[in-house]
Amino acid sequence: MMTLSRSSGSRSSRWSIARAAYIAAFFAFLYVPMLVLCVLSFNDSAVVGFPLRSFTTNWYRDALASGVLIDALWNSARLGVASAFIGTALALMAVLGLRGSPGIKAAVLPLIVLPIIMPAIVTGVIMLIFFGLTGIKFGLFPTTFIVHVTWVLPFAFLSLYPRLEGFDRSIEEAAMDLGARPLTVFGRIVFPLIRPAVISTLLFAFTLSFDEFVRTFFVIGSQRTVPVHLWILVTEEVAPFLPAVGVIIMVLTLTIAALGFASSSIGSARASRLWSAKEFAS
Amino acid sequence: MLAGPAMTWLFVFTIVPVAMLTVISFWSSTAYGIKPDWTLDNYRTIFGNYVYVGTFLRTLRIAGVTTLLTLLAAYPMALVLSRLRGATKTIVLLLVFLPFWTSYVVRSFLWLPMLGRNGLLNFLLLKAGIIARPVEWFIYNEGAVYVGLVYAYMLFMFLPIYQSLDKQDRKLEEAASDLGATPIQAFRRVVFPLSLPGVFSGCTMVFLFACGAYVTPQILGGASTMMAGNVIGSQFQISNNWALGAALSVTLMVTVVACFALSAWRQGLQLFAGARQ
Repeated sequence: MMTLSRSSGSRSSRWSIARAAYIAAFFAFLYVPMLVLCVLSFNDSAVVGFPLRSFTTNWYRDALASGVLIDALWNSARLGVASAFIGTALALMAVLGLRGSPGIKAAVLPLIVLPIIMPAIVTGVIMLIFFGLTGIKFGLFPTTFIVHVTWVLPFAFLSLYPRLEGFDRSIEEAAMDLGARPLTVFGRIVFPLIRPAVISTLLFAFTLSFDEFVRTFFVIGSQRTVPVHLWILVTEEVAPFLPAVGVIIMVLTLTIAALGFASSSIGSARASRLWSAKEFAS
Repeated sequence: MLAGPAMTWLFVFTIVPVAMLTVISFWSSTAYGIKPDWTLDNYRTIFGNYVYVGTFLRTLRIAGVTTLLTLLAAYPMALVLSRLRGATKTIVLLLVFLPFWTSYVVRSFLWLPMLGRNGLLNFLLLKAGIIARPVEWFIYNEGAVYVGLVYAYMLFMFLPIYQSLDKQDRKLEEAASDLGATPIQAFRRVVFPLSLPGVFSGCTMVFLFACGAYVTPQILGGASTMMAGNVIGSQFQISNNWALGAALSVTLMVTVVACFALSAWRQGLQLFAGARQ
């Protein structure tokens, strides 16, 4: 009896050591490369890598000096805002049109999710062919913008649909019965209720656009978004300030994503309060 | 009616380009551009040439192995996390998410300063006296591509598995142990089977993404580890052979969409429930 419990005790302690080792390895795998990049961005060496020499912030100065990074940031920002708004607006209209008719929704769902399923490289190639054959000039607008709207639209649809699916339509019907026009119903009743969902979808769409690379790369011509700039630095220019650019982009994307996360969790908290209030009322 | 604009948009910018691609895949490329002369030559080139067939087989193999490695790396973490509670859970969950909020291209090139000639791995091994001079084969090979792909796609595996484990009723596990099951038996017979839908969506997503990988093999792979995406890209960027590139794209697209349709048919379209939150 005693030996048995002791052996099972040592087994469970071995088990917990293995567990701790696995957790440590998992997070080391995720975070060590990011830390290395941060460290190297301050390393005063013309070669990207080890050993570490003295501390410098010059790579950040160099990264920002040419203005190409700033231009790329500006391009990514306006592209992200434009495609997030248009993509979310189109998706919202589609959701409003398709809720209540699950049959039609099921029929068109394959078309809606197709841009997500298609390999990025294939989307890049088909849009290159499409714009090439129709003679539309490659650049930020309209070619890259069109590609980004197509990319964010399905995600916006999938993010908005569940929030409108269980929507109680009797409120809207009541408003209609009282003489409100459809646009008034949308503006006064539907939109205020789904506003948190719309805002988090917009931010989500923005991050998707901001992060998009492969599809963009084939249709952007000679202009640069942030990922395209980084790609050219990695594959062609191999500049010593590369880690600094990487860190700047990492910090920016983290901030945007954190904002999105915060807004969506506030949004869902508000939505759940709303639903519990509704349940309480009924 | 309200769905009209979105459907029109998707039709014009997805279906029409796919149709154009399919048509061009039956044309031929000349020095002056593409020529509409209806031929199967591009497909004959692809399926008659071991270089292209080999590329597709390698792509499927790399995608398969990546899926397996990602599953092995992510499943235990999903299990550990689903058993945590309160603030610890939120913090650890955020720690898992955080790296995936950074830009995809950044995430892909992070492994250059880790595995490269002047990278951390070489530096540490040199310092420890295990190697005498920097090792070149840590990078630009299939192993490095696996590291990069697992790193890039981990979250897509983690998330659906975590969700399916997290919503499990813990009473089932307790019931199993009350009935005399050891923790391992309870896991094998109760917890794991119930998490299979999550495993299945995670594997589908990672496999699909890995099939179309372009950035990671381009940065971390070598000439012998080029995947379908890289071969397609080079037809448009280097050899300017649009017709062959189109046929290669159609082949990749059919492969991927068929894989997806197969799993969607088994799973319903809930595959995207956990996608990128």
